[in-house]
Amino acid sequence: MKRLSAFLFVAAASPAAAAAMNRPFSVGGGEGGGPATGIVGWILAEQAQLTHLMSGALKGLHDGPQAIWGLAALGFAYGVLHAAGPGHGKALIASYMLANERALKRGLVMAFLAAMLQGAVAVALVGVAALIFAATASEINVAANWLELASYAGIAAVGAWLVYKKGAAFLASASFALASWRATKAGLLYAGAPWAAANAGSFLASGFRAEAPDAMLDPDCGHIHAPDPRLLGNGFSLRAAALTVLAAGARPCSGAILMLAFSLAQGLFFAGVLATFAISLGTALTTGALACLAVFAKDAALRFVGAQSRSGLIIARGIELAAALLVLAFGLALFYAGAASG
Amino acid sequence: MAPYLRILLVSIGLVAAAPAWAHPHVWVTVRSQIAFNAEGKVSAVIHDWTFDEMYSAFAVEGLAKKGQLAKREDFAPLAKENAGGLADIGYFTTVKIDGKALPFGDVQDYWMEERPDHLVTFHVTLPLKTPIPPGRFFTLLVADPEFFIDYEFDNNVPVSLVGAPKGCSVSVAKPASLQAEEKKKLDESFFTNLSPGSDFGFKMASRAIIACP
Repeated sequence: MKRLSAFLFVAAASPAAAAAMNRPFSVGGGEGGGPATGIVGWILAEQAQLTHLMSGALKGLHDGPQAIWGLAALGFAYGVLHAAGPGHGKALIASYMLANERALKRGLVMAFLAAMLQGAVAVALVGVAALIFAATASEINVAANWLELASYAGIAAVGAWLVYKKGAAFLASASFALASWRATKAGLLYAGAPWAAANAGSFLASGFRAEAPDAMLDPDCGHIHAPDPRLLGNGFSLRAAALTVLAAGARPCSGAILMLAFSLAQGLFFAGVLATFAISLGTALTTGALACLAVFAKDAALRFVGAQSRSGLIIARGIELAAALLVLAFGLALFYAGAASG
Repeated sequence: MAPYLRILLVSIGLVAAAPAWAHPHVWVTVRSQIAFNAEGKVSAVIHDWTFDEMYSAFAVEGLAKKGQLAKREDFAPLAKENAGGLADIGYFTTVKIDGKALPFGDVQDYWMEERPDHLVTFHVTLPLKTPIPPGRFFTLLVADPEFFIDYEFDNNVPVSLVGAPKGCSVSVAKPASLQAEEKKKLDESFFTNLSPGSDFGFKMASRAIIACP
């Protein structure tokens, strides 16, 4: 698990980079910054180019409406790359999937909704602030920072909920493993087994798979079967999922705000709105892929250690708890940094 | 652990953990003047930064009536905000003499305005804390270390000298394009580059070298 700890280390070190707010010439939703080379550097370069192409396509609308297709395609490509580069929303969805979710379809829907919400927030922000209130750049930044803070608070809340759920599952599987280890050790398969004592309604009891007693007596089967992961792990809650979508999508992206402001200045606000939702579609595609990757990676890890084994179960719960703690720490660090500088 | 699993976990870690890696959102064309005092010492850097059309559109938001250009007084609060924040970020400006970066004093004489072509310019004077002789040569670097802003020197008048001793000259060295450079590194750095260097913006920056006799 050395690699896993490396992964956690990288993760823990990252929120520091988010502290950059209130920089000169910032744009609301301000993606602070950080250095990058390699593949991320390539993504940056492509995005920079796409930004220029998009502003060109938008101006091209003055010559005729056919430029709208190019603009939409560019926006989509921008969104795909934008989400491939990091961002808290995508990180949150991926971590949520890693910690909590097995149902891919649900993850894809969440990714899609979060991306669309992000686009809608940008449109609403610029539309309401600039069109109706004639707000200045600074005022738009302030509003965007509030949204950002709300998003961070939401991330922390999702993290707290996940830690609560996953902590309980981790402890349960650990104590179950301990109890069954003791039971096997003592040769008392029935006497010490936890289900004997467990109440029917308890969390643990509901999690155990019914097992025929003779299978348990099989001398080759020295271990007691683990709780069914589907019963323990799939604590899907509509409220938690909705909060995750809100937290991931509340923070508008700087690129969309700039695009909308520019389209407004060009008298082509509608085209800017269209481009923004094209960006959202692209973002949804990448975030969805990340969500799949998270689920796939966890499944692969479980298959590798053997999900049914005792250690496999504890490792699985451990991964989930770690991801949950990560989300919580991430949210708190971002919120703290945002509140301190905002 | 199986290699494919390791790759998966590391890439998830990278993605989930990644800080806000910025790509440039704001582009600035830089024209700088380097001012010398009566004793021939370098005393200040005077910047005129012209923003790209997108940031310009954002910056003029809500400042002027439709059809009118935003004037310096309209921009006063925003100019103050931006100029005031420069110290915290290192002024986006580095002047090095003999390899040592020189400290700046408080910003002076700053304003923003919208040009007739609707691009916004920002003007600011950065006085050196203590004027210093130029030596054989010194360098001026204008860059955002976090690369949210992409600074590039103007093609025609990148850097001019004001009151410089006779014989001083300027040359600007542009970096290789981002794409060419980064694409080369793509392969080897994908898995090794868990913590890339901390000066990406600087690496991509143009440098002006001022040589004096």
